[in-house]
Amino acid sequence: MYGRKACQLVKELASAEKGQLTPCNSDLFDQVAAECSQHHLELQSLIRKIQEEGLDVQTTRNADHYGALIHHLSLVRNKRCLVAYVYNRAEIIRSLIWKVGPVLPPEIQEKLNHTEEDYFKKLSTALQAYMSRLDLDLTVDMVPPKDPYIQVRVLDDIGVVLSDDKTTNFARHSMHFLKRTDAEQFISRGLMEELTG
Amino acid sequence: MASGSTAGTDDDYEALISTTDVELLKRVWRNEKAAPEILRFETALIQRTRGQIQLMEETIEEFSSSGIDPLTVSLYQMDLDRTQYLLRSYLRTRLQKIGKYMFHISNNPEVQNRLSEQEKGFAKRCTEDMERHLEESVLSKLPDNYRDILKQSIISEENDMVPEPQLDTFVVCKSRRFLGPFQLDGSDELLEMKPDDLCIIHYKSIKERVQEGEIDLV
Repeated sequence: MYGRKACQLVKELASAEKGQLTPCNSDLFDQVAAECSQHHLELQSLIRKIQEEGLDVQTTRNADHYGALIHHLSLVRNKRCLVAYVYNRAEIIRSLIWKVGPVLPPEIQEKLNHTEEDYFKKLSTALQAYMSRLDLDLTVDMVPPKDPYIQVRVLDDIGVVLSDDKTTNFARHSMHFLKRTDAEQFISRGLMEELTG
Repeated sequence: MASGSTAGTDDDYEALISTTDVELLKRVWRNEKAAPEILRFETALIQRTRGQIQLMEETIEEFSSSGIDPLTVSLYQMDLDRTQYLLRSYLRTRLQKIGKYMFHISNNPEVQNRLSEQEKGFAKRCTEDMERHLEESVLSKLPDNYRDILKQSIISEENDMVPEPQLDTFVVCKSRRFLGPFQLDGSDELLEMKPDDLCIIHYKSIKERVQEGEIDLV
């Protein structure tokens, strides 16, 4: 049936967990695109048929006209589904910039296709350009601050770090009481976790 | 601290507090967060806030080097952190809206004028990148007549593929002063708002008043 594949594609998007990226289904995607070309061929041949019969394409309302109309509508619907698929994935990709930062971890990276990777890179350069024109880093301070200092646990060996003319050894599993602004960069990279409670 | 013994001084204090830049920033930030569409960029306010943040940073630096009580310093630091959070969150919220409605914004000069210069640049790049992305992944694979990014096909008379902010969603809002009976969009009902009354209304019927600063979103 016309449009079923496109529907599947969009359903995949809808049934995925919100804000989570699923691997790009380029197989199904290409099938839908191929279906579009097929519709277009049939549409053209029907229009040609109308013209060959010597009828005016604009005003004829015979079986061929409605056949062509069905093909046109199916094509437009497929286009909407394809664009929605790409657009909504791009929206999730945009949100990733805020959630994980300008470099994607490999497990997310592998879910993107080539153009999406490109898009993500361009987006982060655009954001970088905006922030440098503004001279303000917008990727820190993601949650409202409660306390200037927080308790953190180091999850991975970071080594000796210099901050505020003190050197601290962030060995794995050690716990520290740090300035929130200093700790935030490590937390977003997954190297530390905040201890709450 | 001296207790506000009379109602008069309390009111004065309230009035004074509600006009500081931080308080103003908090208001525009809340409005921006709650409004479905992008609001006018508060150029002057943001500029002032940034100046004050810088001043605060210098003060804290000076305090900590001249050995003032660490508690005082940390209180200042906390205040600074909060203001910076407000500022960043405000700008971030706007960028996210720009990302969401970029085609709507770039086709609509009136909306575009609500952005700051830097945001305009960002919006332009954002739109171009998205156009290229869609072009490469979908549109180039479609038949000629169906390749437009804003229209479903060449026979569409207007742009029918542009995501627009939904202006008829409901928002929770509060009036800042007494608003005489005014008409709501699309109905004959008149509405009167008293200060601090909470209302749930269609965003589009109070849109102008939010922009004028008469009504705050919550």
